[in-house]
Amino acid sequence: MGIDIGKFLKNPEFEILITTYRDIFQVEALEKDRFGEEYMKLSAVISLSKNDLQKMGFKPGDRVKLSNNYGSVVVEVKESKKNEPGGLAFMINSPWANSLISDETDGKGIPEFKHVKAKISLSKEQITPIVVLIGTFYK
Amino acid sequence: MVTVMEIYQLLPKTNCKKCGESTCMAFAVSLLGRKKQVVECTPLLEENFKKQKEKLETILLPCAGAQETGMIVHTELCTGCGNCVVACPVDVANDPHGAGMGCAPTNDKVIFKVIDGKVVASNIKECRRFGKNKVLCYACIDPCPTGAIEFV
Amino acid sequence: MFTCTGCALLCEDIEAIVENNRIKEIRNACRRGAARMKGCMNRLVPSIAQKPADIESSIKKAAQILRNAKSPMLFGFDNSTSEAQIKGIQLARKINAIIDDTSSFCQGILIENILHKKLRTCSLDDIRNKADVLVYWGSDAQDSQPRHLSRFSYFPRGESRQRGYEEDRLAIAIDVRESNTAKICKGHFYRIPLKGDREFILALMEALSGKAPAYDTKNMLGLASILKKAQFGGIFVGIGLTYSIKNDFEILTALADMLPKFNIMPMVGHYNMRGFNEVLFKETGFVNRVRFEGNGVQDNKYAIIEALKNKSIDALVVVGSDPVLSLPRIVIPHLASIPVVCIDPCQTFTSGIATVNIPSAASGVESSGSAVRMDGKVIGLKKILENNYLSDEDIMKRLMEAV
Repeated sequence: MGIDIGKFLKNPEFEILITTYRDIFQVEALEKDRFGEEYMKLSAVISLSKNDLQKMGFKPGDRVKLSNNYGSVVVEVKESKKNEPGGLAFMINSPWANSLISDETDGKGIPEFKHVKAKISLSKEQITPIVVLIGTFYK
Repeated sequence: MVTVMEIYQLLPKTNCKKCGESTCMAFAVSLLGRKKQVVECTPLLEENFKKQKEKLETILLPCAGAQETGMIVHTELCTGCGNCVVACPVDVANDPHGAGMGCAPTNDKVIFKVIDGKVVASNIKECRRFGKNKVLCYACIDPCPTGAIEFV
Repeated sequence: MFTCTGCALLCEDIEAIVENNRIKEIRNACRRGAARMKGCMNRLVPSIAQKPADIESSIKKAAQILRNAKSPMLFGFDNSTSEAQIKGIQLARKINAIIDDTSSFCQGILIENILHKKLRTCSLDDIRNKADVLVYWGSDAQDSQPRHLSRFSYFPRGESRQRGYEEDRLAIAIDVRESNTAKICKGHFYRIPLKGDREFILALMEALSGKAPAYDTKNMLGLASILKKAQFGGIFVGIGLTYSIKNDFEILTALADMLPKFNIMPMVGHYNMRGFNEVLFKETGFVNRVRFEGNGVQDNKYAIIEALKNKSIDALVVVGSDPVLSLPRIVIPHLASIPVVCIDPCQTFTSGIATVNIPSAASGVESSGSAVRMDGKVIGLKKILENNYLSDEDIMKRLMEAV
């Protein structure tokens, strides 16, 4: 019988599986102004089912850090609009989601956009602004 | 949904009683409940209130629909997919080769138009929920993926 | 009436109210289409090394970059007219470049199978006129091609379906989540686990051949019974299904073989992705990932993601696409380290790091041409606004003269 370290961790981390999807309101914001507030508000988000939110102790509106071997981002947590059973988290196709996508392609050119494993934990940091995601590439 | 304060802000706020109500606030409430018309406030018909009168007429439009047939379109939820346009039996009857087929309307007798990507209700009195032979029609609500159409 | 370039439905019934040479109002287009037609807030300005320049110098500099490159790549074209795509291919041929579009990490494999006639398909007009059973598989048409159900597939009445969705059609959704499209297919939504499509298809095939599969027996038998009774069916294959079965795509061919009354329809996002695939296919026999060395040769290593991973390209021309937005962040460093020429109507994340930026006309609004709808029908684009922007086609021609 070991010690339950989790009891002492103030900021527990969970393994989650994420899939990406498209949303018309986010695409509209992209068409109008991909550098703007609206695009970020609709994109820097992860949606979890009610069950998963409860299990992990997150509330809609909390900020969470998502990380894996490919990158990490801070986004806002929302509750899935529909009755999702849980076990799967959803992110809209965007540079925030793309920070976590692996480049494993079996040499065939298609990455796993819709199958992403990451760790999630509560974060006190700001939501990663686009200028941080993209700005590191500016010369 | 337009609020009574939004209506009140556009009125002369002189409490002149020309509309038959004791205060402009009371008139605003009557407008919201469609018990009075904008033109009953005679000061609004003057040149210096032209903008306010136009704005009032615009914001009170969905209410007009709501009162007669109870239909409200929540624009911020509408994706402009056109499901309601083609599902509406009135559109199918009045414009079988245009809106009734999911294409652009070919005449003005349609109930739903899509402007700037969002549905705008028009000709509300053609709606089957209105008039002598009214029926409780749900043809436009069921196909809406986001619940943008509501009947109150 | 104009044609919308918001997605590959290419709706041709768009009205535009123009005032002061700007689009004041768009009618009949969905929210996505209206936003595309009205245009972005930040137009691209010509620049070299991120400093403003005139357009002639920018084109010259771009040509110089291409001349000096040993392994250049031209990428994008899915938001360009077919005429521009043809010129782009000619340019690639001239300079022995690699040419690829977003289909190499999107629906390319599906369109390739359709063009090779490995999958039975039909037109969207056929769907409207004849289809009685519709399956949206890994596709959220309501968000990606919003007028699909209202103009073609589910709601409208058609020649053989005079009572439309109310009595003559059945819509089924198969997805990992209850999308907006799944919501409309009330009572006929099959939720499957991530990557669960292969197992689902195998079970369905068992059910179609009269056996009772172990997997979800009742639902599979029920679905098989519905599909068998169909007179004219459509399976709308979204990116969700394509990504799930990308490593054994023949499973879809196998299923389609057991459903002789069904047509496989690709759900395409970019307005002229299928156009690019068809144009390149006609020229080379391949839909994407081609390098020209005399003839065109296809190889996975010429796909944009592989080329960036392997660091095998030393110059990149991006036409109407934003790879810094769409690609996994982990492959961007190489893109940021090589000379990039960005050709687009709007400022993008890619134009923010490009060596040369060349502003182009927004096709379908500021330039005309043709495009290919997701079902293969050729649709014309008209010019709505007078302007001084060069079209993608013009820019390709100028680059060919200058290289």
